[in-house]
Amino acid sequence: MQILIYILKRIFQTIPLLIIVSLISFFIIRLSPVDPLAELRLNPSVSKETLQKETERLGLDKPIIVQYGKWAKSFVKGDLGVTSNGEQVSTKLKERIPNTLLLTVVVIFLSWSVGVPLGVLAAIYWKTPFDRVLTVLTSIGMAIPSFFFAVLLLIFAVKTGWFPVGGLTSSNFLEMSFSQKFLDITHHLVLPVTVLFTLSLAGLQRQMRGNLLDVLDSDYVKFARAKGLSEFKVIFKHALRNAVNPLITLLGFEFAGLLSGAALTEYVFQYPGLGRLILEAVLKSDINLVMASLMMGAVMLILGNLIADILLIITDPRIREGSQA
Amino acid sequence: MKRVIYVILVLLIILGLGKACIRADVDETQKPVLRPKSEIQEENYPLEKNVTINGIDYLQSQAPVGKFGGTFVSSTIGEGPKTFNPFNSKDNISSQMSEIMYDGLVTTDPVTGDTIPKLAKSFTVNGKEYIVKLRHGIKWSDGRPITADDVVFTWQNIILDGFGNTSIRDSIVIDGKLPTVEKIDNYTVKFVTPEPFAPFLRMLSSPIAPKHVFEPAVKKGKAYFEGFLSTNTPPKDFVISGAFKLKEYVPAQRVVFERNPNYYVINKDDKKLPYLDKIVYLIVGDINNQVLKFEGGELDEISLQGANVARFKEMEKHGDFTVYNIGPDTGTMYIAMNMNNRKNEKGKYYVDPKKQVWFQDKNFRQAVDYAIDRKNMVFNIANGLAEPLFTSETLNSIFLNENLKGYDRDIEKSKKLLKKSGFRWDKAGHLIDKFGNHVEFDLYTNAGNTEREAIGVMVKQDLEDLGMKINFKPIEFNSLVNKLMATLDWDMVIMGFTGSPLEPNGGKNVWLSDGTLHIFNQRLEKDLNSPRYDFEKRLDYLYTQGALATKFEDRKKYYDEYQKIVYDEKPLIYIYSPIRIVALRNKFQNIYPTSLGGVTHNIEEIYIK
Repeated sequence: MQILIYILKRIFQTIPLLIIVSLISFFIIRLSPVDPLAELRLNPSVSKETLQKETERLGLDKPIIVQYGKWAKSFVKGDLGVTSNGEQVSTKLKERIPNTLLLTVVVIFLSWSVGVPLGVLAAIYWKTPFDRVLTVLTSIGMAIPSFFFAVLLLIFAVKTGWFPVGGLTSSNFLEMSFSQKFLDITHHLVLPVTVLFTLSLAGLQRQMRGNLLDVLDSDYVKFARAKGLSEFKVIFKHALRNAVNPLITLLGFEFAGLLSGAALTEYVFQYPGLGRLILEAVLKSDINLVMASLMMGAVMLILGNLIADILLIITDPRIREGSQA
Repeated sequence: MKRVIYVILVLLIILGLGKACIRADVDETQKPVLRPKSEIQEENYPLEKNVTINGIDYLQSQAPVGKFGGTFVSSTIGEGPKTFNPFNSKDNISSQMSEIMYDGLVTTDPVTGDTIPKLAKSFTVNGKEYIVKLRHGIKWSDGRPITADDVVFTWQNIILDGFGNTSIRDSIVIDGKLPTVEKIDNYTVKFVTPEPFAPFLRMLSSPIAPKHVFEPAVKKGKAYFEGFLSTNTPPKDFVISGAFKLKEYVPAQRVVFERNPNYYVINKDDKKLPYLDKIVYLIVGDINNQVLKFEGGELDEISLQGANVARFKEMEKHGDFTVYNIGPDTGTMYIAMNMNNRKNEKGKYYVDPKKQVWFQDKNFRQAVDYAIDRKNMVFNIANGLAEPLFTSETLNSIFLNENLKGYDRDIEKSKKLLKKSGFRWDKAGHLIDKFGNHVEFDLYTNAGNTEREAIGVMVKQDLEDLGMKINFKPIEFNSLVNKLMATLDWDMVIMGFTGSPLEPNGGKNVWLSDGTLHIFNQRLEKDLNSPRYDFEKRLDYLYTQGALATKFEDRKKYYDEYQKIVYDEKPLIYIYSPIRIVALRNKFQNIYPTSLGGVTHNIEEIYIK
C-alpha cells in the first residue's frame, strides 16, 4: 500500500516536469533560426503558391505560443502529429523503436551478464594479476571514444570483408529462411554491439568492483568472517546484497538509455534506429518528430528512475523503513 | 629521469601524428587524370526503336543482346523516399524512386536532349495542339491495358485538378488559363494549351497513373491523396508501367525494386526487358559511409567528389570498377551583387546609397568579373573537377550560347573599367569611387558549405588586388536566405543554383523581374511595380517570348540573347560548374554514359556479363 501511494505521488510529480521540458524544448527549437522551408525558398522551380501552402501546412504563419498550444493539445490526446513530410510521427517512431531496442537490449544484457560477475571476481581476487589485467583492459575500454572506435571497426569491416559495412539486414533478407535471417541480423549486429558493449562493460565492471571492495572492508563483513562463515557465504549472502544498491540506480539510467543511448554509434554504423531518425529531424527542424522524441526521452528517464527507486525499496530494508518513518 | 622519457615519448607520438597529416595532404593534391568527356560521347548510344509484333507496339532496344538476371545495387544519401506516389513527391529521392516505376508519355534523348516518345508511340505538335498516339496492346503490371483513359484521367483529374504536388500545374498556367486534355479514341489524346507554350512538351514526361488504381483515391479528396501510395503501402498494391516495381521498402535501410514482367521494351531477340531481376537502393546517411560501402563491395555504383576521385582513380587500376567522367553538372556557383535601389517600409534604403552607385554600375560589375581567377578556383577548390563557367545556362544545356567565350583573369582590364567609371586609388592602394568613398562591402555565403567558404576567401583575395576592402562573412544558411529573400540588406553573396540542361524556362523565377528568386534585384510584394532596369525589361521580353515560341531554332535565338545580356551585364557572375564523376563495377554491360542521362539512363538494357 505504502509503495502504491509512493508510485502515484511520483507520477503526479512528473506532470509539471513534462510541461516544463516540453515548453523549453519547443521554444528552443522554434526560436532557433532554422527555417524548415529555406531549402524550398532557394529552389528556382518552386512557385510562390507552393511556398505559401507549405507555410500554412506547417503552421509557421502563427505565433509560437499558438503553435505550442496546438501541439500540446494534440499531444495530450495522444496524437503526435505529422512530420514535415506529412507522415505520421507515430508510424515513423514505430518503424525504428524495435531496431533500437534490439541493439540496446542485447548490449545491456551482455554487459550486465558479463560485467557484474567480472566485477565481483576482480574484487575477490583483489591485487592479484587477474585483477590487474582486468583493470588495464577496462581502462582501455573506458578510454576509447565510442565514435572513434566505431569508425575504426567500420574500416576493419571494409578492409577484411568479414562484416557488413553497417545496416541491419542484407538486401536479400526477404528471401531468407528464418535461421538465415537470424544469422544475418547477428552478423550485422556484431560490430555495433562490440562498440557499445566495450564501453558499458568497462564502466560496469569498475563500478561493481569498487562497491564490493568497499563493502568487503566494512565491519559486518569482518564480523561474518570472524564468526567463521565460509568465504562463499560471506560474499554472496552478506557483501553482495549491500554492494548492489548503486548498480540498481545505474539500471534506472540504463532503462532511460534504451531508446536514446546509442545515437552516435547508430549514426556511424548506419543503423536504422531512432538515433539517426532524430538527428535528421533536428537538422531539418522537424518540430513534431523532435518533440515526440524529446518527450519520449524524458518519460523514459522518469520511468527508469521510478523503477530503480521501487527496486531499491524492495531490496534494501533500510530505505523501506526510511520511507515509512 | 623517468619524466624525461615520458616527455620524449609524448613528443614522438605528436610528431608521428603530424607526419601522418602531412602525407595525407600530399596525396590529395595530386590531380587525377580523367578520360575527357569527348571520348565518352564517341560511344554512340543506339536509340530504342518502335516495332510492332502481333499488333503490339513495343519499343525495341538496339543495344547488344545480353543475359537475364542479377541485381544492381546503388544508393541514396539521406533519409530515403518520403512517398512512392509520383504526384506527391517534393524531393529528389522520392521523384527518382517513383520515376523508376511510372513512365511518362515522352522522355529525353539521353544524347541530344530532344524529346522522344516513351509510353506514347508518337506525338505531333501543331502550335497550341499536341496529339499523342499511344501504343497498342501494352499493359500495366497487373495486366490491364494502358489506354487514353489513363492519360486523360492523369492529366485532367490529378494534375490539372491540383492533386498532390502542384508544381507542374503551377508552371503551365498561362494568363490564368490551363491547358485542356481530350480523348479522341482509345489510343489518341489531344492536349491544347491556351497559348503556344514550348515548355509544355517536356511536361508530357510526367508519369501516367493507372486510372483503375488512382480513381478511388482521387474521389476521396486531396487530403486522402496526400497519404495515398505512401511508404507504408504494401508493395503489392502498386500497379506500374515502368521497368521496375517496388518489392520491399525497409525504412533507413533500402528500397528494393523487381523487374516488371509486362514492360513494353524488348531486345533484338524480341524478349521482354529489363535484363536485371532487381535494383536495390541502399539508404545511407552520408558520403563517407557511401564510399566505405562501395569499397566494401556492397555498392555497384557511386558518385564521387573531391579527394575521393584521385583515390578511386588509383584504385581503379587493380579494382573491378571504372571511373567515368560524365561532364559538367547542372549545378552552378555564382557571385551576385545587390542591385536593389528601393526603400523598405521605414523609408530606409535596403542598400546603402553609396554602395548602390557601385553595384548598379556595369563597369564595376565587369571589373569584379575580370578580377576573379576562375581557373585557380577550379584547380584549388574543386580539385580540378569543375569547368569555369561564364554563361547563365549550364555547360551541358542544349540551349547553351556557344559564342560566349571564356577568358582568363585580367586585372589590368578591371582597373581600366574602374577608371572609366571615375574610380581611383589612394596612396595606400585603396580603391576610392568618384565621390571619394572607400570601396568596402560585405561578402556573404552560407557557413558550413566548405566549398563556398573557400570560394569566398579566394574572391576576397582577388578583389583585394583591386584595392577593395571585403568583409567576408559566412553566416548560417537560414539567416542568409532571410537576408536574400526578406530583409534584402546584403551587398555581395556567393550562392549556387541547380539549372536544367533542357529547359531554360525553369529559370524564370530567377530571370523574370518579378520572379520569386530574382536574387540580384529581389522585389518584395510591395515593390512589384517598381521601375525596371533596361536589361531587366529586355530579359522579361526574351523569357516570355522564349516560352511562347515552339520551334527549337526560334527559342534558341531568344535564349541566346538572354545569355548574352547576362554575360555583358553581369547581374550574376558565374564561377564554375562541377564535373560529375561516377564509378561503376565492370561486370555491367550496355553502359553508355551521357552527360544528360548519367550512367544508368538505359537501366532496362543494362545486364551483368
